[in-house]
Amino acid sequence: MKFDKDSLYKLGKLSKIQIDESKLKSLSSDLGSIIEFIDRLKSIDTENVDPTSNSLDQSLVMREDIASDVNTANEILENAPQKELDFFSVPKVIE
Amino acid sequence: MKRNLNFIDAGSLLETNETTSVDLTKIYLEKIKEADELNCFNTVSAEQALDEAEKSDLRRQQGKLKSRFDGIPIGVKDLFCTKNIKTTASSRILSNFTPSYESTVTQNCIDAGLVSLGKLNCDEFAMGSTNKTSYYGPVTNPWKSNKSDAKLVPGGSSGGSAAAVAADLCVASLGTDTGGSIRQPASFTGTVGLKPTYGRVSRWGTIAFASSLDQAGPITKTVEDAAALFEIIAGHDPKDSTSSTKEKENFLDNLNSSVKGMKIGIPSEFKSDDLPLSTQKAWDDCKKLLQSNGAELIDMSLPHTMDALPTYYIIAPAEASSNLARYDGVKYGIREEGKNLIEMYEKTRSVGFGDEVKRRILIGTYVLSSGYYDAYYIKAQKIRSLIKSDFNQAFEKVDAILTPSTPSTAFEIENEPTDPVQTYLNDIFTVPINLAGIPAISIPFANDENDLPIGLQLITNSFEEQKLLNIAKNVQDTVNYESVPKNWWQK
Repeated sequence: MKFDKDSLYKLGKLSKIQIDESKLKSLSSDLGSIIEFIDRLKSIDTENVDPTSNSLDQSLVMREDIASDVNTANEILENAPQKELDFFSVPKVIE
Repeated sequence: MKRNLNFIDAGSLLETNETTSVDLTKIYLEKIKEADELNCFNTVSAEQALDEAEKSDLRRQQGKLKSRFDGIPIGVKDLFCTKNIKTTASSRILSNFTPSYESTVTQNCIDAGLVSLGKLNCDEFAMGSTNKTSYYGPVTNPWKSNKSDAKLVPGGSSGGSAAAVAADLCVASLGTDTGGSIRQPASFTGTVGLKPTYGRVSRWGTIAFASSLDQAGPITKTVEDAAALFEIIAGHDPKDSTSSTKEKENFLDNLNSSVKGMKIGIPSEFKSDDLPLSTQKAWDDCKKLLQSNGAELIDMSLPHTMDALPTYYIIAPAEASSNLARYDGVKYGIREEGKNLIEMYEKTRSVGFGDEVKRRILIGTYVLSSGYYDAYYIKAQKIRSLIKSDFNQAFEKVDAILTPSTPSTAFEIENEPTDPVQTYLNDIFTVPINLAGIPAISIPFANDENDLPIGLQLITNSFEEQKLLNIAKNVQDTVNYESVPKNWWQK
């Protein structure tokens, strides 16, 4: 299976990754070979089988809702590429 | 050749005051400096390490030790968030990220008094089995073939963690394993690598790759070391909702290497004509060894073994594409400016991620996209149930399963296949274990005809790490594998 240009660009858009024109060919062949590989599963009978999303036989554990002082706003903002006041700053969005 | 200093012995040397944490830390920092060529470390935190070592020595003088391993220097995969120490996941997108908090795993190590020497190189976001996808360049395996001078891969993704232990650049190290990322590099470097049961070790503060498969574990020089370090990092963590509430055991003190009467399963699906003769021989020799030590061998079947790898390459990229959506140039990491918000996202991610990570994000997005979700993602989750059920049935009849860890020994850095699927086949023996969520260990057993280590994998049922470690110790003590790589890297 090969990915054509349009479906690669669509996938890039969904993934927010720019598809480099010079890499179209190799990417199409790489992704094609991966899809071909995973397509092997189509022939397996999974009628009446429940999906497993998590291997742990335990329901999700809840914790007490207690405030803690790790990861405060100031500490988190230290890593922001751009900030203004107490906020992350991003390019202007006008719809 | 003399074995390198292991975790248990380091603890004894410190206890009897034959060395100090500061001395040990200085020795290792010097070794790291001299091993630049191996490229094991992304960040060496020398100043913090010496500071922590001094504090440990002071605690020892005052009789206030945090644990019997207080003061031992270890290495930490660059996937664990470490407070005030750069954490990159070997990715350009996080190349400037310094966490403001400590992962639970590394906090547990700090609470035991261990000293971190720095952050170990790995495949970018733990995606790879050669360590070649790292933004900081590949790690070189300290082992070399006796027939060639070519540099070999250490395996991956915890390639730096395994190579650093093999080259004795730290006493032990921490890795993570999503599809074999602890066991495969351990196998390639003659070290011991334990992947615990899913949920045993907290994932909090560990940079996520595939959340339903990721599990942290130790890479060490001996099985006893693995038991000790595992005991330190394991345990329930309220900050990880998939963390098991099971009580932590005293894995080290409870080590008992008898295998008398144990049933060891040999799965027919792992047999292959493609397996190198030396790996086949090691596997056969280990079967005989266990048998002569009183275990019973049982031929058995895990019918969905060959379906595990394609299943993994749906589930892992799907979870990865979702987990890596957070890297968008807004909250942390690098940003590439764009004309508008969307372009900024796209440019940042295109520049920030390497090719393998992009491939997996694209595949993950594809299998989760409208029209394909049921055909791929749900289908894979159903096959995951079949794989898990294979193991459940197997463990009704056997105590443990013995297989090779990898289909080959370490190969040349320049010889990686160009087709990604060929590279994925490296993990064919390790991936089913992550999908089933059970524990497994890789232990060095012999060297092949090129003098490269061969690892064997033992597998037990969920939360049976004690049994796993016991059998591994039996094999270790009987085979007495003591090889260490020749030191060619020292400047």
